[in-house]
Amino acid sequence: MLLAGMLAATACARVTNPQGWASPVALDGTLLVSTDKGKLSALNRENLTPIWTFPSEDEADERIDLEALYGEPAVSDDVVYVGAYDGSVHALDLATGRPKWAQPFLADGPVIAGVVVDGGSLYVASDDGNLYVLDRETGEAKGQPFAAGDSIWATPLLADGILYVAAVNGKLFALDSDLRNTWDEPFEAEGGLLSDPVLADGLILVGGIGRRLYAVDAATGREEWSFKADNWFWGRPLVDETTVYAPNLGGRLYALSLQTGEPVWEEPFQSEPKSPIRSGPALAGDVLLVADREGLVYGLSPEDGSLTWSRQLNATILADLFVLDQEVLISAQGGDLFRVDPASGSSRAVEVLPP
Amino acid sequence: MSQTPGTTRPAPRGPRVGNFTLFAIIAVAAVAIFLSMSAGQNPWDALFINPLINSLILLDRLALGQFGLAIIVFTLVLRLVTLPFTLRQLHSTRALQSIAPRQQEIQKKYKDPKRRQEEIMKLYREAGINPLGCVFPLAIQMVVFIALYRALVHLVGGSPESLIGLGERVYPWSFLTESIPLEQHFLWLNLGRPDTTLILPILTGVSTYLQQKLTQTPATTPQQQQQQQMMNWMMPLFLVWITLTLPSGVGVYWVASNLFGVLTSYYFYGRRSFRWRDLLPMPAPAAQTKPDRVGAPANEPNQEPQPVGAGQRKERVPHGRKRRGKRKNRR
Repeated sequence: MLLAGMLAATACARVTNPQGWASPVALDGTLLVSTDKGKLSALNRENLTPIWTFPSEDEADERIDLEALYGEPAVSDDVVYVGAYDGSVHALDLATGRPKWAQPFLADGPVIAGVVVDGGSLYVASDDGNLYVLDRETGEAKGQPFAAGDSIWATPLLADGILYVAAVNGKLFALDSDLRNTWDEPFEAEGGLLSDPVLADGLILVGGIGRRLYAVDAATGREEWSFKADNWFWGRPLVDETTVYAPNLGGRLYALSLQTGEPVWEEPFQSEPKSPIRSGPALAGDVLLVADREGLVYGLSPEDGSLTWSRQLNATILADLFVLDQEVLISAQGGDLFRVDPASGSSRAVEVLPP
Repeated sequence: MSQTPGTTRPAPRGPRVGNFTLFAIIAVAAVAIFLSMSAGQNPWDALFINPLINSLILLDRLALGQFGLAIIVFTLVLRLVTLPFTLRQLHSTRALQSIAPRQQEIQKKYKDPKRRQEEIMKLYREAGINPLGCVFPLAIQMVVFIALYRALVHLVGGSPESLIGLGERVYPWSFLTESIPLEQHFLWLNLGRPDTTLILPILTGVSTYLQQKLTQTPATTPQQQQQQQMMNWMMPLFLVWITLTLPSGVGVYWVASNLFGVLTSYYFYGRRSFRWRDLLPMPAPAAQTKPDRVGAPANEPNQEPQPVGAGQRKERVPHGRKRRGKRKNRR
């Protein structure tokens, strides 16, 4: 009986391997997107045909296993910087996809957050709790990393020369270029901070495990308001003028006043059947799009949150939605890409062939 | 009235975990399932997985963020709570060992399966044995194993994705949420991933083998003996394979649970009746009958049945118990 039970248990589920949820990045003529687990591809923006994929099938790349890509890549001066779950950070030539550094930088833990470029430096936040500063040209570490005291999963936000870093110990730091705190003390939230911080109207918006979305004064680090929900906030909030659209893992999308944190809609939008929403929402024209983990994409009215249409894509969606040329691009786990028409909700899968 | 061969000697009875307790547990479980379903929740999640997840997070906090230690503490607490059932199982095993020769006689004497079964059941009754006595501890172990596996997938699933479903399972108490995400590393292990060093799978296999040998009931037929020999190997090998496949946290639970079981058996049967040689995977000597020795077959299946007492060693008194009525029983 014990044997049969354990067989059933092992047959039903397996260890969850990291899959990644990097969202696309659009450039002039090129779209960077993860089209397979642990792979980054550059596509032609017009027709979405592939230009290169890293790591490639070539012999030179056969030992590279990035495991998964969570943070979106950063691009500067025709160089693509990307951090991976195996702890490596790579600099790739935008035109060819070939590595620029002699060897990749290796953090002591997985890199889940996106990397940030600032002048000649590259900021890399890692699960090992460190924020590394790398030389963009060589990939070598500049000095000692900043220790946040716990893992950093959210992509740091760079604004006006200040780097805002949210850690899973619930602390939000504001660091200058020398990695010194600019606030008297870091802001401390209830529970870990998971969502990428967003700056709007002098407020840093960030949420996490404590089921709260916080608005923190970017200058002082003081809490302006917080909104308590029924589940964790992990998706990146979207700000449109005076309204914050924030999804949570209870499958709800909240519309809150940027100034006060008060709900704007009578009721938050609720996915069915309460499927978690990790993806950041997107506003395309007058339609607000949001997708839940089970692959249901919803078109909502930004005014009152009423449902205009919904579409099942039969895929696991955790990456932020991305507006591209009047359409919304959705990157699903496993590398599937979908284009969704925001007005009608019609969708089509994009077939990306190997380069 | 048919007489069971040999003298009837009541076996020492285990601690009474009465039927009332079992019925009470089943009744409470039924009510809880009904209530959780009424609230629109999945009873398996609401009654097992979620409380287990929160208990493990709580223990993680108490263990200063060492989740591996939290799993070990959880295992010990669970084994202590279910100790009455374990002791009952051990009593049943010992009683089965003591009546094995008589059971063998019955097997030999009665050719009619129905009659044979009746006689065996009668013998069980006289010896105070519940043949299903070992089912409850096994069932608990199985349920906990599956629930723990599911809980670990959420808690230390080895990827950020595994945490996404955790939000609705963790109770909204800051004391708990402040611990998330949990530290995945313990000793040389990543608790969310299988142990590729093979150390934990081997520990699991060896401890399972020892645990099995120490709590084995005696085989009374060649078929039973064959089955036991097969299980002696199959179960540890199966668990080695499982530990290679599942998160290491499950293996930590299994090893801790087995070690607790081994120690319990050791103290229950007593040091005097424990022989390391019996744990070795060797066939037992053919002519010797050792009904009360831990881990050894009570009698060789092809041996001629002996009258009770003949060719048998005296029943050993468990460690820590005084011999009473010894003189009275002598003839």
